Amino acid sequence: MKIYDMDKKSYFDIKEIKNPSTKVEQLSHALYCFENDIFDMIYDKSQPALVKYINSLDQDMLYQDGFQFLYFTSGTTGLPTGVFKTKENSIKQAEALLKTLGDRKFNRVVTTVPFVHIYGVDIGAVVPKLLDIDVWTKENFLPQELASEAEKEGTLVVTTPVFIKALNRIRKDADFSGAYFLTSTAPLPKEDGREFHNLYNTSVSQLFASTETGLMGHKIDDEEILEAYDGVNISQKYNMLRVSSPFLAKKLLRDGAIEDVNPPFQTEDIVEILNDKEFKLLGRSSNLAKIAGKRISTQQIESIVEGIDGVDCAWIKIRRDDRALKDEILDIYVESKTKLGAKDLRKILKENFGAMNIAFKIFNNVKIIRSSVGKKIGFKEL
Amino acid sequence: MITTSELKEKIIAGLGLEDIGIDEIEDDMALFGEDGLGLDSVDAIELTLIIEKEFGVKIKDMGESENIFSSPNTLCAYINEQLELDKK
Repeated sequence: MKIYDMDKKSYFDIKEIKNPSTKVEQLSHALYCFENDIFDMIYDKSQPALVKYINSLDQDMLYQDGFQFLYFTSGTTGLPTGVFKTKENSIKQAEALLKTLGDRKFNRVVTTVPFVHIYGVDIGAVVPKLLDIDVWTKENFLPQELASEAEKEGTLVVTTPVFIKALNRIRKDADFSGAYFLTSTAPLPKEDGREFHNLYNTSVSQLFASTETGLMGHKIDDEEILEAYDGVNISQKYNMLRVSSPFLAKKLLRDGAIEDVNPPFQTEDIVEILNDKEFKLLGRSSNLAKIAGKRISTQQIESIVEGIDGVDCAWIKIRRDDRALKDEILDIYVESKTKLGAKDLRKILKENFGAMNIAFKIFNNVKIIRSSVGKKIGFKEL
Repeated sequence: MITTSELKEKIIAGLGLEDIGIDEIEDDMALFGEDGLGLDSVDAIELTLIIEKEFGVKIKDMGESENIFSSPNTLCAYINEQLELDKK
């Protein structure tokens, strides 16, 4: 396999890179580590708050024997969770994914995703590695550019729902029947899945996964029922999905301590189990928003807002707008002595999350209502 | 011909930047990155769709769009240039 840099229109070597910054460099370095069994930490270095948190940890704790990669994901408590994955986790997972693709033959992978999280590395890099086909990528894609690539026979596209929606909106007169699309966990409304299939004569398989569990299930186009991957055992507790599989992380770094993962792993996804292989996703119990492909804890943002001078309390609700590419918007309710302005908040969020433009709306002049145990449960206007 | 004010209106409405006024976006302000307006890669995709829908101008190559999207001034100039070319 080789890496093709679409910006430079040339191949890029798989090699060790000290501080990979571009997508191509991230991919090259991750593959180098994977091929040579070198442990590495994979995280988005453009997020100042995450970098600060990782630097604050006992660095010896970050290196655990027998693991390939340590990923960081947004934890439900507001602090990031470190997820240790083995090489075996990734390989078995890629094999299970490939089984669902049937007899389709691919000669390259085109990926729009960065290689700073598990989806990019496991699906965008390990899958082509196993297939021994080239990976084509570039720093930024336009929908039209992706459409041109998808018209070529034998292309496996690894992307996100943002691009599926964008491709639907450009309504290009094109045929993608020689290509196949994979998208990440962020929800793709079934109308968008159907429209994509009808417009472009191809299918999109939506992968349902998390960093901790790896792949859990998938559905195609406008299907509503998720099918568990081979090797994934599903069950539920309190209506929430529990998973055991060979893709499950063995260790987590949570709240500054290492803990073993004892299967089944309890997720915070509310589901209806239909049988031992099929389930329906009904919602998420946690306060995690998915913004521009990144998982962010609303609790973390609440803490940031509450750290602003004059703010007594903040409560965040996630609102969905399926028509928008950024389909999760944060409604931020602020109990404060002074009015919190969007400009000030945008600046503070940038200091913490870097170049990520979080969609939000501020509601000032409210009183946050708490339950008897102190949990924020609502607001009333003042 | 479109003006930067018209363009800014479309940007604000299209990207849902409800709390930002036209006056707050300067003509030479960086649209992307941590300085300036601070838009990100998903906004970039949305912006190309907005420009196509509102002005009928297609941006075909993300490489060229880096310069086009530098500021409202550069974006406005590009749209007007394309509209002129279409007339010919």
